[in-house]
Amino acid sequence: MLSAAMWLLVTVVVYAAAKRIYRRYPKIYLTPLLVTPVVLIALLECSGVSFGTYDRGAGLLSDLVEPATIALAVTLYKHIDVLRKHAVAIAVGAGCGGVAAIVTSVCLARWFGLQPAVTDSLAPRSATTPIAISISRLIGGIPTVTAVATLITGLLGLVMGPLIVKGLRMQSPIGRGVLFGTSAHSAGISKALEYDPVTGSVASVAMMFTAFVTLCAAPWILSFLP
Amino acid sequence: MKTLAITLVQVAFYIALARGADWLVGRLHLPIPGSIAGIAILFVSLKLGIVKLAWIERGASWLLGEMLLFFIPAAVGIVNYRSLVANSGWQIALTIVLSTAAVMACSGWIGERIAARRKEEAKEC
Repeated sequence: MLSAAMWLLVTVVVYAAAKRIYRRYPKIYLTPLLVTPVVLIALLECSGVSFGTYDRGAGLLSDLVEPATIALAVTLYKHIDVLRKHAVAIAVGAGCGGVAAIVTSVCLARWFGLQPAVTDSLAPRSATTPIAISISRLIGGIPTVTAVATLITGLLGLVMGPLIVKGLRMQSPIGRGVLFGTSAHSAGISKALEYDPVTGSVASVAMMFTAFVTLCAAPWILSFLP
Repeated sequence: MKTLAITLVQVAFYIALARGADWLVGRLHLPIPGSIAGIAILFVSLKLGIVKLAWIERGASWLLGEMLLFFIPAAVGIVNYRSLVANSGWQIALTIVLSTAAVMACSGWIGERIAARRKEEAKEC
């Protein structure tokens, strides 16, 4: 019991330290999203503690995922004007992107010969993590694999997003916002905010929209792809 | 100290709302996650003025600001899937990279096109 509570504390401390370091040295490979799990896995390996023991304590944090997702309603409420103004661009861009995410990951995963449960875990990857995990559970994926795949997708958004913005010579905050919000959820939003506030709020709305599209389309597309 | 107490109370509100939304979804046998139902309930409440933004804003910015922390235990859970990573790690990685690139190119390009066209239309008017 004591050790379970301790792991909760350790997780929070490692996360806080990683965040601090990232603020000092904002390098992509130092992002807390990558550093924290790596450090914790190393600690578990070294101390020989099982994931079950770790999760009994630290798992309490997972219970805050759903309340945090619901807090997105506040984001949506605040940015409703942006949504109204650019509804078509965001809806069509995020809609196509959301469908492309499911179709390309299912096709690629099958082509690589991955097991069906893994394929299903990769499909909802572009949605924001809590929703991706719920969808994964609905369609028969493995929630942990989805969580990690979604995390990697977010990291890729930070790395590849700016390259694609340059490659496609994207000028407008709308196009850029849709790109980051659709492909890389909350990680993408943080990157989009580095361009300008409009790009950030477009990304927030695009992320919400992608989540809804993925939720509606994933079970349906999976049943159609042979 | 006061700020901390206010934030805690507001976070408790979101936790209660999450439990309520889960209960409702289970009760009505809705085919959606509780989180989506929760977003819809809160958004409508804000729109109708049942809930005021000032009552819940601080809790929201804390939860959203620290969102990454809540996913850490799930990410650490990958240690339970050692053989999956060893056997098909690179296929999974490649799928994610290629698919993400496709999503970016597709969503960004379409968003940019539509935004540009709307701008031209606005100029002509």
